Amino acid sequence: MSSSEWVELNFGPQHPSMHGVLRLKAKLDGEIVKEIEPVIGYLHRNAEKICEMTYFNDNLIYFDRMDYVGAMNMEVGYLEAAEKLLDISISERVKWIRVIMAELSRIAAHLVWAGAYGLDLGMLTPFFHCFIEREKLLTIFTEVSGSRQEVNYMCVGGVYQDITEKAISEIEDFVREFPKRLKDIFNMFMKNDIFLSRTKGIGILDKETAISYGVTGPMLRASGVEYDVRKAEPYLVYNQVNFDIPVSYKGDNLARVLVRFEEMRQSLKIVEQAVKKIPEGPYFNPKAKKSLMIRMRGEGDVYARTESSKGEFGVYIVGDGGVKPYRVRVRSPTLKNLSVLPELAKDVMIADMIAISGTLDLVFGEIDR
Amino acid sequence: MNYTVQVMGESVGKDGRKIIKVTKENFLDLMKDLRNHGFDHLSLVTGVDRKDFMEVVYHLHSMNTNEYVVVKVETRDYKIPSVTGIWKSADWDEREQYDMLGIIFEGHPNLKRLFLPESWVGHPLRKNYDMKKTQYINMDEEGNDYATFDERGGW
Repeated sequence: MSSSEWVELNFGPQHPSMHGVLRLKAKLDGEIVKEIEPVIGYLHRNAEKICEMTYFNDNLIYFDRMDYVGAMNMEVGYLEAAEKLLDISISERVKWIRVIMAELSRIAAHLVWAGAYGLDLGMLTPFFHCFIEREKLLTIFTEVSGSRQEVNYMCVGGVYQDITEKAISEIEDFVREFPKRLKDIFNMFMKNDIFLSRTKGIGILDKETAISYGVTGPMLRASGVEYDVRKAEPYLVYNQVNFDIPVSYKGDNLARVLVRFEEMRQSLKIVEQAVKKIPEGPYFNPKAKKSLMIRMRGEGDVYARTESSKGEFGVYIVGDGGVKPYRVRVRSPTLKNLSVLPELAKDVMIADMIAISGTLDLVFGEIDR
Repeated sequence: MNYTVQVMGESVGKDGRKIIKVTKENFLDLMKDLRNHGFDHLSLVTGVDRKDFMEVVYHLHSMNTNEYVVVKVETRDYKIPSVTGIWKSADWDEREQYDMLGIIFEGHPNLKRLFLPESWVGHPLRKNYDMKKTQYINMDEEGNDYATFDERGGW
């Protein structure tokens, strides 16, 4: 069929398998996708502009609402930049608390992805098992911060309240029980023939394309690049814990699934070590006392990169010496991962396009900001 | 590291990253040099509205050697050469900066707005953007969004 006879098909923005408000303009030859153009911006709130109008510490709540399934990764990312700009140091105890919370958030975010990806491919059971486990994590978040998802737990100079003994014991329970549960969930995927045939060898992303498009995180590691900001540019105390970066060289859907599952095990390993190593100390830097927070001033420009559950999350803050940031810019990993979809979903079946877009781990709060 | 072009100055930023400042004329040649030197990962493209000029900041990283460099270039007429030919990841980044700040990236293959509808008036992240004017969004028959100032024209 010539290109003039291709059928135009509009997916979304409201579609059950679009993970939010992604709209895809597809051109089809029969059931083969020939061209695809993502249209985004349906959840655009312009957080960058709002951040210019708010005090440094208050901006955190807008970062919570970016990657809303793993909110504390976003808080860590923003604070890495903001604390450097404001010259505020944090104690060792706070660093360990942040590592624990970031890794638990990563597991929580990956569990949402695993459940939703199962749904994409027609498996209902793993979804419930993933959310039962996620619920335990949300209980821990409630214990430390009082809130479930958009926790707003951290602040400039530390965390809002110290981590309690009860929370530590809940985390220890989770670390003990989760590996067996994760194995069950993993087997639900891997012992399913339909799942394997829909992921194996489909949506292959090669190394050069991935780097050129700025793809990061589990997607890049599934294409054979051993790159993780936690190792490349260690922040907090990631250089004091022992963990591996899972890498796969296949670059297909299955590789991305396997890398994410292995990442959950590695995160658990980090949490296990961190809970033992957490030192005594203040949970807050008095220099950034709550009454002084609105008067904190920053000058210069700082770019901080952190590894969120989706990839390299970067925050660039420019200060002009005022109490509010002059410019805030967010590097959204999912936006870059989505930009490679037109390459990946070329000459594949429509059903495979859904299977591919599921492995991108799209969260629209973060893409549209 | 040697460059084939003249740079305006090198310094180290507050976060310990090396900053290279360059004029608009030498900008594209410098970026090609850096790409050949191994900077294969363009992390971020940022435009900063400095009121009387626009500063564009490029954060580059090398996957192999783990080096990091920041390139800053200034433009007074809001035009800058596009680097989409060197890094494909610049495509959406530059579209976003065009959308939010109105920087024209010359040579970009598909310079459209990324988030806002094509008929949106103004660029929100400019410091002189008027936030009091409300714009309403609606959808045409093709399914594309358009913006209007008419209160009854929105959803």
